[in-house]
Amino acid sequence: MKSKRRILFSALMVLALIAIAACMMVIGRGHTVYFDNKTLEDYQGQTYKAANRIVVYVNGEQVAKLGARERGMSIWIGQNFKMTLEITEKKGDEPVVKEISLKLPYSVDGIVINLPALLAGLPEEAWFSEFVPAVTEEEPTDEVPGTDDEFGLGGEFGLEDELGDI
Amino acid sequence: MSRKNNISAGRTALELVRSNAVPIMFIIICAVFIPMAGFSPSYLINEIITRMGRNLFLVLCLLFPIMAGMGLNFAMTLGAMGAEIAIILVADWQIWGIPGVVLAMILSIPFSALLGWFCGTVLNMAKGREMITSYIMNYFIGNGVYQLVVLYIMGSIIPIAHASIMLPRGYGIRNTVSLLNMRQCLDDLLAIRVGGVKIPVLTFLLIGVLCLFIVWFRHTKLGQDMRAVGQDMQVAKDAGINVDRTRILSIIMSTVFAGFGMVIYLQNMGNLPTYTGHAQIGMFCIAALLVGGASVERASIGNAFLGVILFHLMFIVAPNAGKFITGDSMVGEYFRVFLSYGVITIALIMYEAKKRMVKSKAGLELAAAQRGEEGVK
Repeated sequence: MKSKRRILFSALMVLALIAIAACMMVIGRGHTVYFDNKTLEDYQGQTYKAANRIVVYVNGEQVAKLGARERGMSIWIGQNFKMTLEITEKKGDEPVVKEISLKLPYSVDGIVINLPALLAGLPEEAWFSEFVPAVTEEEPTDEVPGTDDEFGLGGEFGLEDELGDI
Repeated sequence: MSRKNNISAGRTALELVRSNAVPIMFIIICAVFIPMAGFSPSYLINEIITRMGRNLFLVLCLLFPIMAGMGLNFAMTLGAMGAEIAIILVADWQIWGIPGVVLAMILSIPFSALLGWFCGTVLNMAKGREMITSYIMNYFIGNGVYQLVVLYIMGSIIPIAHASIMLPRGYGIRNTVSLLNMRQCLDDLLAIRVGGVKIPVLTFLLIGVLCLFIVWFRHTKLGQDMRAVGQDMQVAKDAGINVDRTRILSIIMSTVFAGFGMVIYLQNMGNLPTYTGHAQIGMFCIAALLVGGASVERASIGNAFLGVILFHLMFIVAPNAGKFITGDSMVGEYFRVFLSYGVITIALIMYEAKKRMVKSKAGLELAAAQRGEEGVK
């Protein structure tokens, strides 16, 4: 009886931990969101011009101040992205404030948002694209794991592992 | 009468000094070094509080095996390795912030528990030589199995998606993994500033919870069993306690908590030194606990707190003090490593000397009692 109860308790504990882990995986997924204030040319025969200035606020903090043809970025945890845009269409105009909420796809790390297309209310395919980092050629011999010597002390005394900030 | 009292007080003081020789020695070292280092009190307090938040959880996890009479668990690094594997996976899955820390802790449990079970089983085969066995096991698991997993299996068998953490050759993990997106997320949440000193309240709350758990655990059936096993294995066995199981459980608890502690440590640092992170941990945590006045068979929460404060105070001031004395800061760097190894050596020698002294004293008392008995006959 006691053993059965113990097994049941352990199983419940494991299930609870799995459930918490699953929740963390969903709510903790990080994304890098890039904002482009670039003219979208020739989308279904129309051109959507970049604004003179767009100021982007995320979580109440200014993360980018974009002139035409400029890009900014912010990091975001979770899928429900919210931002506030302060848009100045033409020089000298009064800025218009807009609050925007977006659903970010779970599987995409870096998301590029074309702001003029988004503000024009175009479908997702027009303003959304995935950020693909530029591939840089690296020499495979650059890094030999386990041979760090960040303090330049040399490894002959076997001290390289122990030194450093603890 | 008063002379007798004086002699007795002198003996008590001498005994007190003898039993707290290591902390006293470190207090003297720190008292000499602090003025030489020339740091401001607020800087020192800030650093000490940061390092307490970073290291205390790890140091506290050493108490379980000491409770079970298994000495200083050098194999706590196995838990740290489990946490490192979990952190690498979490970094690759791009789970950031507090959820990333929680997920890494949960994910570290099976790795740490499995390694702890393995370690406990091996240590049961080497009763009486637990410390050296656990120390050597670090090399087997740390330099053998862990490196095999991280250097060859990750990326080739275990999928790793991000090139930023993978070696350019296409498999294996880089020397350093950036944890920038979870850096100090635990420390900053609920943090308060008192006179320019940042106090990571949430981290200290977690440490407090572990302290309460340890206090509570000592009074549970398993905790009492561990203490009984720690005092005398044979007596515990005769009393119906499953000695081997109890010892394995103490090691599992130690490695699992070490895994949690390593996650707290890494989120504070903000990067993971993939191949060397765990290697530092065991040695420094054990040194800190010994500096706090713990011994191989007796350690308390107070020892852990005092040890972390004194050891890290020395660690902070030693480079500048070394520079002040010799004019070369690198001497200070070597000096603090020398001291941390030195303190382990001195503490172990003192422990052994004390043990022999007690043994010979008991022998002499027994001989005197026998002589007395023979005289009566």
